[in-house]
Amino acid sequence: MDPYLEPKGRERERQRARQGPPGRGHPVFALLRALVILLFGILIVQLVRLQVVKGDDYARQSEINALREVQMPPARGLILDREGRPLVTNAARFSAAVVPGHLPDRGEVGVYRQLERLTGVTTDEIETKVAAGIEKNGRFEPVTIKADIDGDTALMLRELEPVTPGLELQVEPTRRYLEGPLLAHVLGYVGSISQDEYEELRDQGYLLQDYIGKTGIELTYESVLRGRPGKKLIEVDALGRELRVISERRALDGSNPVLTIDLDLQRKVKETLEEFTTDGDNAAAVVMDIRTGELLAMVSLPGFDNNVFSGPLSDEELAALVEGPGKPLLNHAIAERYAPGSTFKTIVGAAALQEGIASTGTTIVSRGYITVQNEYDPNVVYKYDDWAALGALDFYGGIAKSSDVYFYYLAGGKADEGFVGLGEARVAQYARAFGFGEPTGVDLPGESAGVVPDAQWKEETIDQPWTIGDTYNFGIGQGYLSATPLQLIAAVSAIGNGGTVLTPHLLREIQDSHGNVLQRFEKSVRRTVPVDQGYLDIVKEAMRQSVADGVAKGGAVPGVEVAGKTGTAEFGPQHVDGSYDTHGWYVGFAPYDDPEVAVVVFLQRGGGGSDAAPVGAQILDYYFHGPQLAQKPEETE
Amino acid sequence: MAFRAVRHFDYALLLLTGALVAYGALLIYSASLTAYPEGIVGLSHPVAKQALFALFGLAAMGIVAWMDYRVFRQMAPALYVLAILILVAVLVMGESAFGSRRWITIAGTQVQASEVAKLLTIVALARYLADQQHQITRVRVFLTSLALALLPAVLVMAEPDMGTAIIFGATWVGMVLVAGARPRHVLLLGGFLLAAIPFVTLAVLGDYQRERIALFFNPNSDPLGGGFNILQAEISVGSGGIFGKGLTEGSQTQLDFLQTPTTDYIFSVLGEELGLIGALVLLALFSALLFRAIRVASLARDQFGRLLATGIAIMILFQVFINIAVNIRLLPVTGIPLPLVSQGGSSLIMLFAAMGLLQSVLLRHRQIEF
Repeated sequence: MDPYLEPKGRERERQRARQGPPGRGHPVFALLRALVILLFGILIVQLVRLQVVKGDDYARQSEINALREVQMPPARGLILDREGRPLVTNAARFSAAVVPGHLPDRGEVGVYRQLERLTGVTTDEIETKVAAGIEKNGRFEPVTIKADIDGDTALMLRELEPVTPGLELQVEPTRRYLEGPLLAHVLGYVGSISQDEYEELRDQGYLLQDYIGKTGIELTYESVLRGRPGKKLIEVDALGRELRVISERRALDGSNPVLTIDLDLQRKVKETLEEFTTDGDNAAAVVMDIRTGELLAMVSLPGFDNNVFSGPLSDEELAALVEGPGKPLLNHAIAERYAPGSTFKTIVGAAALQEGIASTGTTIVSRGYITVQNEYDPNVVYKYDDWAALGALDFYGGIAKSSDVYFYYLAGGKADEGFVGLGEARVAQYARAFGFGEPTGVDLPGESAGVVPDAQWKEETIDQPWTIGDTYNFGIGQGYLSATPLQLIAAVSAIGNGGTVLTPHLLREIQDSHGNVLQRFEKSVRRTVPVDQGYLDIVKEAMRQSVADGVAKGGAVPGVEVAGKTGTAEFGPQHVDGSYDTHGWYVGFAPYDDPEVAVVVFLQRGGGGSDAAPVGAQILDYYFHGPQLAQKPEETE
Repeated sequence: MAFRAVRHFDYALLLLTGALVAYGALLIYSASLTAYPEGIVGLSHPVAKQALFALFGLAAMGIVAWMDYRVFRQMAPALYVLAILILVAVLVMGESAFGSRRWITIAGTQVQASEVAKLLTIVALARYLADQQHQITRVRVFLTSLALALLPAVLVMAEPDMGTAIIFGATWVGMVLVAGARPRHVLLLGGFLLAAIPFVTLAVLGDYQRERIALFFNPNSDPLGGGFNILQAEISVGSGGIFGKGLTEGSQTQLDFLQTPTTDYIFSVLGEELGLIGALVLLALFSALLFRAIRVASLARDQFGRLLATGIAIMILFQVFINIAVNIRLLPVTGIPLPLVSQGGSSLIMLFAAMGLLQSVLLRHRQIEF
């Protein structure tokens, strides 16, 4: 006992010592038991809260943890020509990537070295890329080290992949266009879905990493080509590795559009057109089945190779395609409008016949020009030239010799001689009836509507009154009138096919991947022109004479009677000698008796008769006689 | 030991111990299916190893029970020095895992030093408090006993192993209270510690401990890193619901969403696969075990035996509480195994030895047997 203890403390100490150590039933053991119950009670309360009250929530979270929905992309449909020849295939595009979270601890440099050896990307660069990738997307999102690696490198990576943690070979589908530049404008290309497209299409199940048709057939028939993505519900572990498939809906591959294009004819058209085109100039040619509107060939120059969009494309390369000479990306057959020149006389002629302005016997003398006095000042005289002093011409001669004076009369009349013309309103009315001034409805994106001018249009657009001179220019397809080559062929075809303006189209049918036809495209009549068959036949005969014995002689094809019309439209600034650059046009159809095919040729710089008509002739010759005759003209029967 | 004393052997305590070990073995089996899809085919399988350790443990328990526990009273100072030595050894030459040094290799076997030190410290504390039984209310005794517990606790905290350090503290508090110390002293100390929390947080806690505490309050701040375990354990237990998903059927367990599912997070496996029912069965087993241990304390014939039994009971109680509380997000992460259930040889053999001590106290609870 401590002798220094205070008495009171000592007393208490004694009492405590007397009580002795706690024995059985001592309150301290009851307290211990209570503590057990209290602590376990706290645990049970929390367990009930987690497992009973919020159990369903946690159950759902554990399901989200373990299950992933994976999209399985369908194979994109193929595009075939009318003979069933494939124009595009699906290919793979390989990229080397690193998944940072799967790299071995402290062993990542080894993986980087192997990548450096295979791809040429230095270890330092890889480290930088991986660090940036982790910063941006976390550790389990693959970081692309090199895109578009070649097949051999990809093969080596494939072999390394299973034994090299963190290394990943990425395979993306891509399109390979077998004919490249030959059909680039028609087929278009695919590209990564843009943010705007994604916003619009996400409801249809598109993903941010999807590819989508950007232009051409790839865009128009995107829904046909795409197919339906499959879905797979898989169980994954904590690292995201697939363990087993719980349910699966197979992807439905895209369907195959069969085009109306004839690959051989397309090739011939392009070759011939290139022969007559200066580099950097625009040119276009279209061959159409005059009875159905099927487009057998459609060529626009300058061309480009749509395969470049399957690989990495620098801004400079893209700019060259968009802005370069001749704007290669534009399909000049549908996207740009030009003055159609004298080819438009066929429409004015038909209108004049129908409206009683002219008959086959209407004779007008061309002295090489006509003059018109100014309305307010008779001393001011305007002079409108013909291309030559062609003398007295009847209706057939007017078209066959392509007299401008003849059509000045028909369109604008000659007040001082008492000849009443159609007037600008009726010319415009017939132009529209033949489909000018509105898109043809072809199944390609980016079509221009063209312009059909009239007094009101001029007032609104350039704020000037319509003059008689405007009507004269209108009558010969110059001035404000503009059209695409496709509009022109659709319009002139109406003269050869009994008065129907057809919707030109590129789709012949849609087949499933086994070749069964799912849908066949029927011809679609856009307009029926308000011109009697008899009058159409007169214009047609005039066009025949134009080829047989007129200015379109260059359009003649041996053994086939062709009806055609040339056009040479002035454009751009006047040269020093007073001349202009001219567009060369030719539009025609054959055979004369029972027309089946029409052709239009447009050359940005050239003459209708001298350049465009021979192109048309070669195309039609190929169409009717095939390569044998075209290549061996000396062969006789 | 007299033969007739054997009738005091607590078979219920042995059965409860066995039941908990068997329960644990089932859970270890399920939790290691991912790593051992073929099941138990060799001795390297965690369940086989655990069974082997349990056999060693049984042997240790038998030996300790057969020995008179008062022998340990004599050996207490030496045992305490041993405890401090191995704790220092682990800091100097220990092997680290998950950022802390906890194991030393003795004769080719990895030993978790703090597990051994826990029991040895209880023996030493029991000896000191029993010796000072008659001046137990004095501050000097109170502080000396605190120092005895604090030294190993600080060494364990340096590993760092916050959880085990807390167990040292809780055990000490329980033992001094049962020994008869003034509750006022304990309360004062508690108040002092509470006031010291801000300083402790700043000065004593390592970065990793501060991070753990921060993650406890907001695991979503790093859901794929440090917060991953906290969230996934919570999801596992919660998704088990009342009846659980069935043994070996838990997606969280089987798909590797839980880290250390056979040791610190074995309760999450139980919660997911066996549900609330399974958890209640476990808590019932532990309650019964602890009640038997408290019974030993109340029957002990001397203060040393009483304090020994109390210390063991409190150690087990707090380990169970803290381990489960961490699993169900009531406490920040501290790596403490679930006694008798978690995989781990050191812990298992130590606990069997502790059961042996309880039996030894019980077998000799009356001096004179008629």
